[in-house]
Amino acid sequence: MGRLKQKGKAGAAKAYVTRTAAVKKLQCSLADFRRLCILKGIYPREPRSRKKANKGSSAPTNFYYAKDIAYLAHEPVLRKLREHKTFAKRLSRALGRGEWSSAKSLEENKPVYRLDHIIKERYPTFVDAVRDIDDALCMIFLFASLPSDSKVSPTLIENCARLAAEWQLYVMHTHALRKVFLSIKGVYYQAEVFDQTVTWLVPYQFTQTIPTDVDVRVMLTFLELYQTLLGFVFFKLYTDAGLVYPPPLDTKKDEGAAGVGAFSLQEAKDTRPPVTTTSKVVEIDGKRISSKDVRQTIKSITASNPDDPDVQMTSVEAAQANDDDEEFVEDTTEENPDEDTPSAPAFTTATLPTLKTLSTLPQSTSSKLFAPYTFWLSRETSRPIFEFIVRAFGGRIGWPATSGSGSPFDETDESITHVIIDRPAVQKPNETEAERERRRRRKYVQPQWVVDCVNAGKILLEDLYAQGKTLPPHLSPFGERADAYNPTAGLIGGEEDEEMDEEEVVEGEGEDDEVEGSEDEEPVARPAKAALKAAAAAEDAAALRAAELAAEAAGVDFGTFEKETKKAQKKARKADAPKEDEAEQDMNKMMMSNKQRKLYERMKYGEKKRTVERQQLEQKKRSLEKEKKRRAKSS
Amino acid sequence: MAAADVKRHSKKRKAAPEEEAPAPPPAAFPQDVGLEMGSEDEGEDGGDVSDDGVVDHFPEIDTRSDTEDEDYTEDGEDEPDESEEDEEEDEEDGESSEETSDDDLGIFPKAKTVISDITGQPKRVYPDIEPDYDSDSSTEDTPNRVGDIPMHWYDDLPHVGYDINGKKVLRPARGDELDKFLKTVEDPEAWTSAFDKNLQMDKPLSPEELDIIRRLQQGENPDASYDPYEPTVEWFTGKGKEEIMPLSAAPEPKRRWIPSKWEKQKVMKIVRAIRQGRILPNKPKTASTQPQFYPIWNDEPSSAPAPLPAPKPRLPGHAESYNPPEEYLPTQEEREKWEATEPEDRERDFLPQKYAALRLVPAYDQFIKERFNRQLDLYLAPRVHRVKLQIDPESLIPKLPSPSSLKPFPVYKSLQVAHEGRRVRTVSVSPDGGWVVTGDEGGVVRLWEVMVGKEIKRWTFKSKIGAVEWCPRTDVSFFAVAIEDRIHFLFPPNLPAAILAATQHALSPANLPPPPAVPSPVKWVSVPAAQSSTDAPILSLHLPSSPEPPKQLVWHRKGDYLASVSEGQAGVWMHQISRRHSQAPFKKIKGAVQLVLFHPSKPHFFVATQRYVRMYNLAEQKLLKTLMPGIRWISCMDVHPSGDHLIVGGYDRKLCWFDLELSDKPYKILRYHSRALRSVHFHPTYPLFASSSDDGSIQVFHARVYNDLMTNPLIVPLKILRGHEVKEGLGVFAVRWVPRQPWLVSAGADGQVSVWCS
Repeated sequence: MGRLKQKGKAGAAKAYVTRTAAVKKLQCSLADFRRLCILKGIYPREPRSRKKANKGSSAPTNFYYAKDIAYLAHEPVLRKLREHKTFAKRLSRALGRGEWSSAKSLEENKPVYRLDHIIKERYPTFVDAVRDIDDALCMIFLFASLPSDSKVSPTLIENCARLAAEWQLYVMHTHALRKVFLSIKGVYYQAEVFDQTVTWLVPYQFTQTIPTDVDVRVMLTFLELYQTLLGFVFFKLYTDAGLVYPPPLDTKKDEGAAGVGAFSLQEAKDTRPPVTTTSKVVEIDGKRISSKDVRQTIKSITASNPDDPDVQMTSVEAAQANDDDEEFVEDTTEENPDEDTPSAPAFTTATLPTLKTLSTLPQSTSSKLFAPYTFWLSRETSRPIFEFIVRAFGGRIGWPATSGSGSPFDETDESITHVIIDRPAVQKPNETEAERERRRRRKYVQPQWVVDCVNAGKILLEDLYAQGKTLPPHLSPFGERADAYNPTAGLIGGEEDEEMDEEEVVEGEGEDDEVEGSEDEEPVARPAKAALKAAAAAEDAAALRAAELAAEAAGVDFGTFEKETKKAQKKARKADAPKEDEAEQDMNKMMMSNKQRKLYERMKYGEKKRTVERQQLEQKKRSLEKEKKRRAKSS
Repeated sequence: MAAADVKRHSKKRKAAPEEEAPAPPPAAFPQDVGLEMGSEDEGEDGGDVSDDGVVDHFPEIDTRSDTEDEDYTEDGEDEPDESEEDEEEDEEDGESSEETSDDDLGIFPKAKTVISDITGQPKRVYPDIEPDYDSDSSTEDTPNRVGDIPMHWYDDLPHVGYDINGKKVLRPARGDELDKFLKTVEDPEAWTSAFDKNLQMDKPLSPEELDIIRRLQQGENPDASYDPYEPTVEWFTGKGKEEIMPLSAAPEPKRRWIPSKWEKQKVMKIVRAIRQGRILPNKPKTASTQPQFYPIWNDEPSSAPAPLPAPKPRLPGHAESYNPPEEYLPTQEEREKWEATEPEDRERDFLPQKYAALRLVPAYDQFIKERFNRQLDLYLAPRVHRVKLQIDPESLIPKLPSPSSLKPFPVYKSLQVAHEGRRVRTVSVSPDGGWVVTGDEGGVVRLWEVMVGKEIKRWTFKSKIGAVEWCPRTDVSFFAVAIEDRIHFLFPPNLPAAILAATQHALSPANLPPPPAVPSPVKWVSVPAAQSSTDAPILSLHLPSSPEPPKQLVWHRKGDYLASVSEGQAGVWMHQISRRHSQAPFKKIKGAVQLVLFHPSKPHFFVATQRYVRMYNLAEQKLLKTLMPGIRWISCMDVHPSGDHLIVGGYDRKLCWFDLELSDKPYKILRYHSRALRSVHFHPTYPLFASSSDDGSIQVFHARVYNDLMTNPLIVPLKILRGHEVKEGLGVFAVRWVPRQPWLVSAGADGQVSVWCS
């Protein structure tokens, strides 16, 4: 006989701990525990049976994995937090005693924790990290637009703004942007980086105030982690793209509100000997990549590079001086200076230093959608949004000085093809000839045109989006569920239904008429219809014959009668067959187990709900269209 | 005495200004309380005190003490400049110089130095003492009249000692607590006085004493003259004061004068490090605030799996657009409904809105809140790994053979026999399948033909029919009817002569079998065969009386035994026709017996109580097994003709299929009726069974049982037969199959008996 099993010694009771127990075990405050959970990405779990996990009690509690908590117990950050606690005690004592010098030295030796190991732990590979930067980007962009106050320090906001700009620069540089959606909450962007779709939301440019019911400390802890994560991710992205990270900031431009333009991308000197890259056998999508392929790609890219207007690259020579200061340059270039032959400038300029960047390079032509165009932003349109979109798709864009400095050209530039304008069309009586001429040559579009073009992947007709026109609806590029309502569909099935409805209405009216006894209009059609119905319902020949006679009496010729009969019969059969099938299915449901039945019912419930939703929207659309038609008729 | 007083006074004064002159008196010790108080008041107070103090003996006012008091207070309240003056005076006093001082304003008689006429030497001359009241100290009151004795001797006595005459000195009256309190209120100086036991009165504290108290309170040295900052007296240092004799004779160690080599090495190490820049002496040890980034993902990732990424938020749909299609905009009702629901219950956290231009789109006020909620979700919400089912819900429905391939089974109602609106509780079909007998609550038993529904015969009894059951024997033809506490045996008309004779012989034999040894409470009453007719029962059993008629009759397969179930304990009777004997097989049964059933092939007997079905072996008279259907109240039961399967229906809408070889628990539990099950029945030959329910429907199943033990029985629902009306919540009471035909006879609460044909 084995050992007696005791309750609470194994299984769920051991595998889960409550939050209180966890805090007690870690001997830290609840705030520290929360901070640790945020940083380490530990979240409560739902045990299969709450009672078993909580020693028979069903009180509402949160459970953590006991192993998670055990890992937390020897977390360096936890040690640092404890050190910080003693530091705070010492500092306050020193300050209370007026020992300024010791307070100062304490402050200098303040314990600071680093999150590198946590980043590495939570995201073992780079792709894991890229997959998870959605929330980080949202937060960074939000904090970049917040005003600083006592809780949110200006340096933090500055850092967020810098990170946001760095991300935008990278996306613009690699043309990774795929979709944009102007929602009421803000602008959703979707980019494709390392085959991962990254979606982030940027609020519109308004001053946000932090509501009182939001715990800023929680947000700041998240932000701490996100800043570190993004720092490492951007470092990797930049270095893989052969760029210097962090991109140097031009303070003068920054003060002039140049935004993203204040940063300049610099090419890093690639140092890896090209031999190694070519000698390796690399496969992408199962294809062997030969050195020839690589060279070809490089050639095509270098060819496209000069006319790439979006990134202002300083020349290699200029960058070289800076490069020496950069710490992260792993190897020095002295090893192979003689290999830098002028015949292979592609390698030195490092447009394509690694094959990883090869895969990240845009393949589709739509990523250079706006390359042939030059845009001018009108004063009232948001510059950060459209500068980012247009440049990410290869276009050139300029803006008036009121929107910030750094515009590459001014309004009178002849190359401008499109003006993004968001105000109602106004007659300008005192226009000069030149202005009028310019006006004629340029296309004035509303901002939605840019976004719709991006989402459509092609240049749409500008007429629909011309200045002052009522815009067509702006649809989400992310799509809905497969069976959801599709606003672009022309309601084909719906129209049929509508016809049916109308028919029914006509019938109803007819019946009413009969009741009233006024048989003056269409006396022929109705009996014929009745006869047809009878024919459809008729099963045996005798009934069919009777129906035929009735039809003849009503004045329907035989050909049409036959055709109609066949149609009606088919319809009736079609209606019958599923009904029978359905009844059988219903009966088979009896034999389902309880679990299966519940699952089935849940699925059916969801399906039905979605159908109702779709039908409601369709109904609404139909009624709106009717309304529109009626109004058009009446006017 | 006065001189001494003044001397003391001056000394005090000297001490006090020394302390207090540099700074105004500390606020913690408010000496200037009651500055405005007139001296008269104080004098009066003093008088009062003395009045109180020595009650009867010395009623006169001590003016001397009054003035002294005044002096003290004035001293205490002196302003600094005044005290400075005093100081000067004191200094002069202290010097007590021989020089003449023309200051004779003081109270103390100053000595004058004059040149003696006689000796020519200077001499001190004091002024003459005027013998007035002031000059005599004998008139002063000596409050202590008991002498210098420890006063605590008299602590618990009414007197405080004895005066010089040996008379008891009574303790002066002291006011009660209220008086004390009032005194403290009236006299602002009260707190500076203390009770003197020797004098038996409150005595004001002198400024020195107050000063000592103040010092003690402040934690200072109580001695005012103590100077903590005296200059050091260097007794053992300095020139000529060196210690000459060493304490130890040991030679002085080398380390006293040789610099440490190791210390030097350590210092040099640090110096070198500083020179080489390995140590930055002034660099703060906290790393620079700017995080340093490096290629963190360059080395091989650990083999441990990455933690699961957090679920991404749902991507926005068309409704969230700033310019959505118009049909997405909420109507007024939808808007109101959205606003009325709690934010947690809303399906969408926003209301779709439409703006004509992008410049008109305002800030989204819930932006930060939403981000915050997302973060709360990330670290606070329990996560469960759920596998999303990407299956068609229809695929969950089990694939069963189509009913059309399992024909024949009853499909339609071929005929209907009405019972004049009375509930038909029971129905039975003759073993040859030609006749049906039904019994209703009005006491009418009808016999009719299955094919056309023609009624052959009707019997009317006084009370409601509990059960009717045909005898399964084919050589005879009769059926049993349970009414009140009787069981009547009837036979149909128009029987062939042979069968009639056999029937009559079976039910009322000419020579009765010998009565059993143990007399039974059940009486067997039969009509002689010659007088018997179809109109009256040929044989009647009188059961022990019970309020309800027996609710079930069941025949053994061979037709010799009939079991009846009535209400109450020991309601189960087994009647043997051949021996004309009845017996109760169970002395006592746990629970109320609902139903009983004979096993078709073995001497087994099923007894269903409210919750359990027990299976007994009648031959061995023991319990074989207890089946637990999990039904709260069993309503019906039937056994498969093979005898290996049992179906049990309950009032809680469940039907359980038991494989008797398998387990005590049901093999399958079906719940398809919406109301209580009333009756279940297996077809004797076809693989069919049917169940009827209070919802008015009859469900026909195909139930194929395999001889192979490994194959589970196949149950296929075939048809739902509807046609009975539900009356007062009651539907179809009984269903019976017609032997040899796939036909079904059903009896309902609506008074209809229907025959369903294939």
